[in-house]
Amino acid sequence: MAVLRRLSLRDFRNYIELDISLEPGRIVISGNNGQGKSNMLEAVAYLGSLGSFRGAPPEALIRAGQPSAVIRADVVSGDRELLIEAELVRGRPNRIQINKQKLGRARDLLGIMPVTVFGPDDLELIKGGPGVRRRYLDDLLVQLHPRNDKVRTDVDKILKQRNALLRSAGGRATPDVDATLNVWNAKLAEAGEALGRARQALVTALQPRVNAAYAALAGEGHPVSLVYEPDWLGLGLFSELERVRSDELRRGTTLVGPHRDELEVGLAQMPARTHASQGEQRTLSLALRIAGHHEVGDVVGTSPVLLLDDVFSELDQGRATSLLSLLEADQTMVTTAAGSPPVDGPIQHLVVEAGSVASRNTR
Amino acid sequence: MASVYTPAVQALIDELGRLPGVGPKSAQRIAFHLVKLPEVDALRLADAISDAKAKVRFCEVCFNVSDEVRCEICSDDRRETNVICVVEEPRDIVAVERTREYRGRYHVLQGAINPIEGIGPDQLRVKELLDRLRDHSVTEVILCTNPNIEGEATAMYLARLLEPAGITVTRIASGLPVGGDLEYADEVTLGRALEGRRSVDVS
Repeated sequence: MAVLRRLSLRDFRNYIELDISLEPGRIVISGNNGQGKSNMLEAVAYLGSLGSFRGAPPEALIRAGQPSAVIRADVVSGDRELLIEAELVRGRPNRIQINKQKLGRARDLLGIMPVTVFGPDDLELIKGGPGVRRRYLDDLLVQLHPRNDKVRTDVDKILKQRNALLRSAGGRATPDVDATLNVWNAKLAEAGEALGRARQALVTALQPRVNAAYAALAGEGHPVSLVYEPDWLGLGLFSELERVRSDELRRGTTLVGPHRDELEVGLAQMPARTHASQGEQRTLSLALRIAGHHEVGDVVGTSPVLLLDDVFSELDQGRATSLLSLLEADQTMVTTAAGSPPVDGPIQHLVVEAGSVASRNTR
Repeated sequence: MASVYTPAVQALIDELGRLPGVGPKSAQRIAFHLVKLPEVDALRLADAISDAKAKVRFCEVCFNVSDEVRCEICSDDRRETNVICVVEEPRDIVAVERTREYRGRYHVLQGAINPIEGIGPDQLRVKELLDRLRDHSVTEVILCTNPNIEGEATAMYLARLLEPAGITVTRIASGLPVGGDLEYADEVTLGRALEGRRSVDVS
């Protein structure tokens, strides 16, 4: 289990200086809108994923008018005590240190302090386009195995090069274009199939977990199905790319591959995107996050820190209670603008007001 | 937006900004540094540039940088002529030469296949490489392009082109730095090193 013991921020979003100790259990962060509740979670999540869970560019994380921001965290991960420091500098790569040792590549931080984020936009996991669900799978793959980050970026780079080639060919396949395309096809087939197989294995592992989480949250037994079966993965990406070559040349872009896949989420044998109710969709999106959280916890052996950003405002009392009971043991940071979420047991309350934080503990 | 600099300074910044590894800020900084410099110093740089442009050319055989029509390596009779090491840039020759392990000749592609930058086989010195292989005196080609996406693609392209000609085509291995510790190796490199493992010579 990963536990955040202490968090310090400098010039991160609206925080000029922040230095707080954190309890290992439930932490409720309250305050009015725009005071900095989500910003605090965003800082913690940055250490887990090297990005903003709100999709903000790195520059947006640095306080306006400042050259750099610093996130510093004391973390107990498994039996290791770590001081993780990240400095974000405008227009330059970020600098990461672990126990005062500089990391050669920022990527090496991935997997050191796993986090699971439940955000207000998670409904998009069900309602949004296929890209949202691909990103859900790929983010989990990186958490499960940092090496997957390389697979994913390789696929992106190859696709960019390949698309540039297809565009520049202007619809004509000269022998030169053909020979070069053969090379990119082989490269894309290799990297793409590695990604596709990894996604497929992940979906198989998630399936029972999503079902269990949905049943526990909804209190009823509609079966959830996850289907990820791209045709090209069965037929072989290389031969599929050969098959669509003339189409691709005409349209100037890559038409098959992992960048066009769909993870179909079904509820009671119907596509959840179009057939489930708003409440069911919300519950399904939570079930996907919980399943991912448990999968990472079991496979990596370190249960991620949970960050719940404004999730309870949309849930009824019953679902809110069962969500928290499913996530029992782990350190959980919850933001809320409205009243307190239904949490019992010891709680650390953090009250955020204009980038400063007051802490008190209750039982 | 109108330029805030005088045209001469703006032109200097624009030119510097075209150099590899120089962004707009650095270009501006270097430009103002140059403007401030005593005239002799600035002209020495200008002379060095025009001198280099006038004297340095590319070797007609391997396309390394050279003062002569043929570079030192191509005109050195003691070097083996049956092996060619293919690299992307002249600076890669310097890197390989530092090993003192290699006694063959080179061929500089002057880049790697990179469609985003508009570079295909036609923009590289591929035809010239094929010309050099035509008389069958070369028995091995070592593909020494960078181990990144573009370098790997270039290596694969060349391998497919050369293999039917019956030439031995080899690719440099990727793996662990000598003298390093396994525990500090990143997973991708270690994975590649495992793929490229070989049996231990016990004789």
